Amino acid sequence: MTKLLTIDTTSGTSVAIHIDGHLAAAVHHDSGVKHAELIGNAIIDVLEQARLKPAELTCVAVGRGPGLFTGLRVGIAAAIWFAEGIDKPLFGVISLDAIALQLLTEEPTHAPLLVHTDARRGEVYYAIYQGLDRKRMPVRLSDPSVGKFDDVLESAAELHNGFVAKTGGATAEWVGKLADLQLSSQVASEDASALYLRAPDAAEPKPNQMFGKRVSS
Amino acid sequence: MTYKPNDFGIRPALEADLDEIMRIEELCFGEEAYSRDMVQNALTTVGCKYFVIELTVTASAPEIVGYAGIAHFTGHAQADVHTISVDPKYRKLGLGRRLMKKLLETAAKEGATDIFLEVRFDNVAAQNLYLDLGFKHIDTRKGYYQPGNIDAWVMRLELDPVAPALEPLVLGIESSCDETGVGIVRGNTLLANVISSSMQLHARFGGVVPEVAARAHLEALQPTLQQALKEANVRLSEIDAIAVTNGPGLAGALMVGVGAAKALAVAIDKPIYAVNHLVGHVGVDVLERGELETPTIALLVSGGHTSLLLVNDLLNDVQLLGETIDDAAGEAFDKVARLLGLKYPGGPEIDRAAATGNPKAIRFPRGLSLPKDMEKHRYDFSFSGLKTAVARWVEVKQDDDEEFSVADVAASFREAVVDVLVTKAVNACLDHNVKHLLLGGGVIANARLREVAIERCAKNGIELRIPAFNLCTDNGAMIAALGAQLIMDGREPSELSFGADSTLPVTQVQTLK
Repeated sequence: MTKLLTIDTTSGTSVAIHIDGHLAAAVHHDSGVKHAELIGNAIIDVLEQARLKPAELTCVAVGRGPGLFTGLRVGIAAAIWFAEGIDKPLFGVISLDAIALQLLTEEPTHAPLLVHTDARRGEVYYAIYQGLDRKRMPVRLSDPSVGKFDDVLESAAELHNGFVAKTGGATAEWVGKLADLQLSSQVASEDASALYLRAPDAAEPKPNQMFGKRVSS
Repeated sequence: MTYKPNDFGIRPALEADLDEIMRIEELCFGEEAYSRDMVQNALTTVGCKYFVIELTVTASAPEIVGYAGIAHFTGHAQADVHTISVDPKYRKLGLGRRLMKKLLETAAKEGATDIFLEVRFDNVAAQNLYLDLGFKHIDTRKGYYQPGNIDAWVMRLELDPVAPALEPLVLGIESSCDETGVGIVRGNTLLANVISSSMQLHARFGGVVPEVAARAHLEALQPTLQQALKEANVRLSEIDAIAVTNGPGLAGALMVGVGAAKALAVAIDKPIYAVNHLVGHVGVDVLERGELETPTIALLVSGGHTSLLLVNDLLNDVQLLGETIDDAAGEAFDKVARLLGLKYPGGPEIDRAAATGNPKAIRFPRGLSLPKDMEKHRYDFSFSGLKTAVARWVEVKQDDDEEFSVADVAASFREAVVDVLVTKAVNACLDHNVKHLLLGGGVIANARLREVAIERCAKNGIELRIPAFNLCTDNGAMIAALGAQLIMDGREPSELSFGADSTLPVTQVQTLK
């Protein structure tokens, strides 16, 4: 019996429990702030809803992003130490894939689907999908990336005729559902590293102008 | 008025507390009360260990609301509970239990193996507390309490020196800046101290980049935890509590530790304590000496902090005397190192360059040390002006195409920093008549700082404490140790709703929610 606890903090603070692929409990705080404050009680709440003790869980999954860094890290950090705490395996899920799964399940389409989420600074995180496979998992055509929305639409139009663009927000419910599908197909990944897609926002200092001349030492 | 457990703190009783103690003694025991002479005698006798519990959250001075004491002579197996009493106004707050636990912990630490007490045969509430703590009713003494001719129960507890209730096994995590630290302690005993530093990743930026630090924390979480457990040779199921730094520090970095710590606490169903990073630096001394000598002045110097604290009591009374008004001392080292074409981190590089230099070659300014500054900023620091002064000095030399010695500049700059740090710390000791100075933070590794501190403390009759370097720099062991102190003092754990607070004041030792 699979008893999976899933955490996703790419947008809100979201925790869910799936038992054998069926949603048993879910808590979703939509706000994009206060992840660190909310995460502990959110885990307690789903455990209570599902009437499970932590030790009864069989595995843990986490949304790896992409998403806003600070919040994203809280969920991954929590998932890593939660899995250590119950001594069970941890699996990573690309959060965009979970959004695609939700969109393609709720409104099936054969057209290529561009899934995008807000990446701030006028940019979006995105990936392109083509329906669901036989295991009901989304088929991703491109690696998750980040770019200006207009540029993304333009290049998608060139490559994927008749594509549809949709946005969404990852929830632990759908991240967990995808993790469960991946587990039963034995394609689940133990890579739970954060999918940042951007280098840290820091500039290397310029060579020192003021002291360009040689000095003795 | 409702009180919270953390409104009260325990400290050793002083002779000056006699009046207040007698008030409580008479309030609680009436005609059976000990006489003033007896209590005074107990407070001053070697072999008697007395404590008071105070209401510290008051508008005026703290108010003593209970007291307790044991007799135990070094080398003896037996300890006796002399007395324990709490002002009736403050009953049912668990204060009696806290005092009792303090007595048990003290007796165990002193090497006693058995502790005895007498209690009125009809005082069921007290008996229940003692039974709950593990005491057994072993005898009844007829007519023990006079003049009422009332019987007493004699109760005994066998002390286990490493009983988990007395010496909690605490795992601490620290992630406030560029070091991921996971430490494990049992009471005041260090079991593991694993530190993963992202310092090298910041080198090309010339300073700590918050986003780079936060990313490194996330990656270090699993290996540091596993290594700490291995080093301490304990399993997570044995851990009694989790402690975590929730500030001050870099918000994004702190949140990694907070998120991980909360999830672990839920996973193993153990309490969590959110503690103050700076107070952690001070409390670390318990790991090397078993206790913190108070009052003490603490000088904490790192890349993120330059703070001078007056610590009257680690858990109840930590005051910020002063701090830097611009750059931290560590930052100043980094910036000047860069000016001189030296590498990051600047501290060790400047130390190396200064080794052959003359510290008196150039008289660089001592920040906030002029009489006019000392009025308002007696214990504050400023290093930004010093950095500019170094820059100007070098600029002038270069404009004149004059050769100069980098070693002399480095030595003179370092001397200015060290001079100000130590002068203000020693002033704080002398002004407050405090005989101890504790150093903490990464900059304490600086050879010249240690040298000058040792010299001037010796000259002024101040005892100097410099913890081992891996306890000075940011680490998880100090956070675990502070958590253990809170537990041994009977504090409630934090609720799971607390957040990271990048500007957490030093007066807030624990964040409850």
